[in-house]
Amino acid sequence: MVKVAEPGVQEEVHSIEKPHETPPDWEPNILAFACHYCAFAAADLAGVMRLSYPSNVKIIRLPCTGKLDYIHILHAFERGVDGIFAAG
Amino acid sequence: MIVGEQKPFEEIWEMIKSFRKVLVFGCNTCVAICHAGGGKEAEILASLIRMKAIQEGIGMEVKHAAIERHCEPEFFDPMMEDIKTNDVVLSTACGVGVNFLAERIGDIPVFPGINTQFFGAVPKAGIFVELCAGCGNCILHLTGGICPIARCAKSLMNGPCGGTNKGKCEISQDVDCGWYLIVERMKKLGALEKLYEIQPLRNWSTATYGGPRRVVLEHIKDIEGQ
Repeated sequence: MVKVAEPGVQEEVHSIEKPHETPPDWEPNILAFACHYCAFAAADLAGVMRLSYPSNVKIIRLPCTGKLDYIHILHAFERGVDGIFAAG
Repeated sequence: MIVGEQKPFEEIWEMIKSFRKVLVFGCNTCVAICHAGGGKEAEILASLIRMKAIQEGIGMEVKHAAIERHCEPEFFDPMMEDIKTNDVVLSTACGVGVNFLAERIGDIPVFPGINTQFFGAVPKAGIFVELCAGCGNCILHLTGGICPIARCAKSLMNGPCGGTNKGKCEISQDVDCGWYLIVERMKKLGALEKLYEIQPLRNWSTATYGGPRRVVLEHIKDIEGQ
């Protein structure tokens, strides 16, 4: 399974996704996965301090970011989320 | 165990893009250990296919499932009816599983989602190495438990070739010379003189060169028949 790259030969990397134009007023839909014990607590504290964050960010609390699985991220992308923020 | 690697996504997409109901079917034994085709990998692959189908504007229903073994009918027979409701099965089992399912599923195509590689061991998480070639005629008692068929690039039977270089093989500095390992092992065992015995020409008909192989246990086969 060890693959030895030929010296001087670089594999061309193709993106699975088709490139497309981004409208100027487009804003990404971000899903944040936050650990209950640190990042989510920080978000909570930010709320107590009346700090605001953009409405295009949604937070999901996890017992630990170790709980975050590939498939949770993929499901989010399938449902139209543009970016994932994992904080823990 | 059998080691495999997932095929490039583009290759998989080309196979299945003309079908509308796709089942990504994982096997939870060997290929799950090598993170290529277990239930988890099947689920991830199904998700990627769904996203690709949306991007391409193709209405495709992609489901995923996994069973413990694709190489024994007991495991997939109970869900055969469900499997047959799809237009195509993308199996992420090893080649054995793909063959076995294709023989039984009737007129639904079964495509391979992974490239089946070799019988391997897992010396460290994420590393899989070939240690046995399954040649059907084991000589490990002569070589200190290290297989020259699998671990020598030329499958030599009587010592290293001229390409051995400080314990490495001439094909790559990343590959150990199998015969260097054998000699060092035999030294440790105090049995180096055994290697002076010349091994005769080998009968390769026990490997796949003799055609498809088959093992039949008469006593067990008879019980099954009853």
